Amino acid sequence: MKRTKKAGAEAISPNGGSRGRVEGNASAKNENKNGKNGRAPASARFYGTPLPGVNPDELSGSLIVVEGTDGSGRSTQISLLTEWLESEGFAVETMGLRRSFLVGEDIDALLAENSVTRTTLALMYGTDFFDQLERRILPALRSGLIVLADRYIFTLIARAAVRGIGRDYLHGVYEIALRPELTFWLNVRPEVAFDREFKKSQTISYWESGRDMSLSNDLFQSFIRYQSMIKREFEYLSKRHGFIELDGEGSVPQVNRELRQRIASHLGIRRTQYKPSHALAHLWR
Amino acid sequence: MATATTEIGAASYAVPETTPAPKRDYPGALVVVEGIDGSGKSTQLYLLKRWLEIGGYRLHFTEWNSSPLVKSATRRGKQRRLLTPTTFSLLHAADFADRCERQILPLLQGGYLVLADRYVYTAFARDAARGCSPHWLRNLYSFAPVPDITFYFRAPLDVAVNRIVAGRPKLKYYEAGMDLGISLDRAESFRIFQERILSNYDQMVQTDRFVLMDGTMRVNQLQKQMRRIVTERVNLEPFAPKKTPKKK
Repeated sequence: MKRTKKAGAEAISPNGGSRGRVEGNASAKNENKNGKNGRAPASARFYGTPLPGVNPDELSGSLIVVEGTDGSGRSTQISLLTEWLESEGFAVETMGLRRSFLVGEDIDALLAENSVTRTTLALMYGTDFFDQLERRILPALRSGLIVLADRYIFTLIARAAVRGIGRDYLHGVYEIALRPELTFWLNVRPEVAFDREFKKSQTISYWESGRDMSLSNDLFQSFIRYQSMIKREFEYLSKRHGFIELDGEGSVPQVNRELRQRIASHLGIRRTQYKPSHALAHLWR
Repeated sequence: MATATTEIGAASYAVPETTPAPKRDYPGALVVVEGIDGSGKSTQLYLLKRWLEIGGYRLHFTEWNSSPLVKSATRRGKQRRLLTPTTFSLLHAADFADRCERQILPLLQGGYLVLADRYVYTAFARDAARGCSPHWLRNLYSFAPVPDITFYFRAPLDVAVNRIVAGRPKLKYYEAGMDLGISLDRAESFRIFQERILSNYDQMVQTDRFVLMDGTMRVNQLQKQMRRIVTERVNLEPFAPKKTPKKK
């Protein structure tokens, strides 16, 4: 991808004024509904200086994030939301961790070796994040798509922060990232997460239980302590970034209804009825 | 370069635009060379290393971009030209972090004299020339220990560029800054890219206490000067062989 010569600082949009929605699927139904908080002005679409070479004005799509620890039901909800949005006529793109072409597999390899140190791992995740954001997500947003992020910078910040990397350092790394329009946090207790994860794969993974941190030799204890630490980071992040906290321990249909209602009102979708197709029916319980 | 203070740009920290004096909470010492390609820095560091090695000093030499860890990703990114200024920068930062956490820091703590061919300033100069925010870059590398001496080898652009172009069959895509779309001609693009880097380096002479070295001087004279400065600025005694303590 060719970049223009534009320096980072010049890319900041000086205007703070309101902007209307650009064309695209999302716009038509949205005009009156959202009024002032339909979306942030272009200059506030990034946390700090935008990524070099990006013009915030071009991003007509919407970025919606679903966060939560392992076993919080995130991925299930993303699958269902994708189907619902598509049935409503919205084109959807998704992103998640370790899905970049550039370094996704390299991170898998690093995790398998577990000789990697914390800053290196944090920066590899950062590379993975920005590779997806720049080469897949921003183009999608320029085309007016809805992007559903299965985790975002918040998980990356939380995981690195519990390993002793400064929160401010991490926020600094991600200040060039795009600010989501909505961030949902599916909050579950570590014990519930444990039950769900165990049911899913009959064991608990090395990294999900934070075993690199020498918290406990007992796998269950290690998992609970690690997930509790992550949860505390999320409580802090939730305040700082205004998460919409949902009870992740509710049933899948319950959580999904809440998500649909919030997203519908944000995007100006009138109908929130949804029943999963046959292909996804197994998730609906 | 303003200190952004959004909810994520962190109110509680300000990335220093000037690097403070070295914090020495380890017994080792760190000597760094910086400069654009063709400035003569690697030759000079090599000669410094030989001098110290022959004298039996405890030292370790480290190079920019040499960790096997992210090599496959860097290669993939470069071959297919997938790297943006941001991912280029992050990948090199990950690579540096690996070297820093697994080599440089432990060695400094273990009382070694560490010689580094290029350091964080390479990223500051080069990635800023690609359009990354200087503020963001400073934060990204803030985990790196501050060097005891940073030698900045400065050669006029023409001299440096000619040395590189003469000695290399073909300039690589990213090396020539082709990703910036400055020029379709590789040699011209390289030249403009190096010019920007040079100007970024020049700005750090004051802020980062660079020791300015004239890259056009004769190799042996320059080396003599470099050795003298090292002897003056770093107490070499702790790194010397035990039986023959050196002067000072």
